[in-house]
Amino acid sequence: MSDIIDISELDFAYRDALVLKQVSLRVEAGTTLGLIGPNGGGKTTLIRLLLGLLEPTRGSIRIAGMTPRAAVSRGDIIGYLPQNPAPPEMRFPINVRQVARLGLVGKTGMLRGYRRDDLAFVDELLTMIGIADLADAPIGALSGGQLQRVLIARALAPRPKVLLLDEPTTGIDRLGQQQFLESIAALKQRLGLTVVFVSHDLRAVSTISDRIACLNLTLHYHDVPEHLPADLVYRMFSCDLEAFGLGGSCGNPEHQHTHVKPAETVQRVE
Amino acid sequence: MTQHCLASTVSLSPLLATASMAVACAVLSVFVVARRWALIGDGISHSGFGGAGAAWLIMLASPTLAAQEWMPYAAVLVFCIATALAIGYMSRGNRVAGDAAIGIFLVASLAFGFLARHIFLHVRGTEPSGFEGLLFGQINVIEPARAAATVLVSAAVLITVAALGKEILSYCFDPQMAQASGVRAGFIHYLLMVLIAVTVIVGMPIIGSPLVTALLVLPAVTATQWTQRLRQVLIIAVAAALLAVLAGVIVHAKWPFIPVGPAVVLTLFLIFLISYIAGRTRPAGAGTAALS
Repeated sequence: MSDIIDISELDFAYRDALVLKQVSLRVEAGTTLGLIGPNGGGKTTLIRLLLGLLEPTRGSIRIAGMTPRAAVSRGDIIGYLPQNPAPPEMRFPINVRQVARLGLVGKTGMLRGYRRDDLAFVDELLTMIGIADLADAPIGALSGGQLQRVLIARALAPRPKVLLLDEPTTGIDRLGQQQFLESIAALKQRLGLTVVFVSHDLRAVSTISDRIACLNLTLHYHDVPEHLPADLVYRMFSCDLEAFGLGGSCGNPEHQHTHVKPAETVQRVE
Repeated sequence: MTQHCLASTVSLSPLLATASMAVACAVLSVFVVARRWALIGDGISHSGFGGAGAAWLIMLASPTLAAQEWMPYAAVLVFCIATALAIGYMSRGNRVAGDAAIGIFLVASLAFGFLARHIFLHVRGTEPSGFEGLLFGQINVIEPARAAATVLVSAAVLITVAALGKEILSYCFDPQMAQASGVRAGFIHYLLMVLIAVTVIVGMPIIGSPLVTALLVLPAVTATQWTQRLRQVLIIAVAAALLAVLAGVIVHAKWPFIPVGPAVVLTLFLIFLISYIAGRTRPAGAGTAALS
């Protein structure tokens, strides 16, 4: 499998504050990468870089061989589900089907109508995601979970190669999370997607991901979920700030990033 | 009797201009309200005072320019477009909140307009021309050429909205997601600002600078009390705006001391009030597909 996302030696700084340092990461097509890390660790910044909303201070990003801006402007490379999408104006005059179709706007281009096969695919998606019966419902009448499913349909409407999910399970109960993860896994399989799943919820990430990357200024770890060291998890999530500044070399020459050293002194908290 | 009054007081061309401006405002109002931009029209329309103020000061400084008929319009046009773009620029960044940006330009334009008026009064000892028209609008003084221009501008606004409807809808629903799906969000943002500004500019001489905002808010809010289907909302918004315009013109024809602007806006407010009360009494989800 070829790499569909290739991030190389990436630095990003907001003015003088370095947020991402020497981040290198490759994602194989058709796999799911879980990106975990504490709040403020740079996860959402990385997503914004992948979407071309920010420009790297140093280094490069390629998505399907293109710069993020080129990939986004094509409209059919990246699907995106934002973190805590703003609830629409309650009386926004638009229904579920129309919102899902908005995902086609970039792909279709200005001054052109939607293609018939794209519209048929949107209807198919609504069925796949289990919201076909809500197709004519006004968007303001949906629950949070229903709205999220509509936004997934919108993200997938242009048949993207990559699906970026930014903290998608935040604020959803355990059952809802499970249903969401099962739904994403099924869609990935059916549509041949590459998924980047950003979350600080380790349980959710490890359920769905083929590989996991831990981000906290730098990439601290990049491997399969079952190899994730418990002490790293503890450091990043139970006393996350203490994880700053710890580093070591990777050993894997393909990974141009640092790993966290084992920390014998750290106490475990259940 | 009313028809006779109407025909004798208001000729066809201003009526057409008012109706076309009202339709353009009503269609834009759907996006303005959906984007929660109700106050943006207010900010832009008040910049008309700034534009008029600039025109009055130019009149004092240069009698040659003051004699040019186009000069006040040019000043208002430049001020309104510049204010729209400035509000648009500030509200896109994160240094000034969107509502604060509107407030800043609104009060600055008002202050500048009033200052210029007082300077004009002090120097010339008389009210600057067009002050009352700016406040309340003067439908009767709209000559055919200007009415034709208003119809053309309104048509251009409607054609633009129709051509870029899906991009505008996507942007208004969620700018960030629109941008992430390949929509040129920056272009649509500034385009909407300019569209709002030009409808405000053409509406200002008809119903007055502070009141033109009503046509950018009330039609959509009224329509969404009845339905949340986009096509129906557009139809009801346009119908409400046209009804208000017609009522305002008839009232003005019957009682000429009542300016058209306040009559239109109060009619629109009355229609909204009825819709709000009727809407509240309707069961939740009525007029929309029931959720299963």
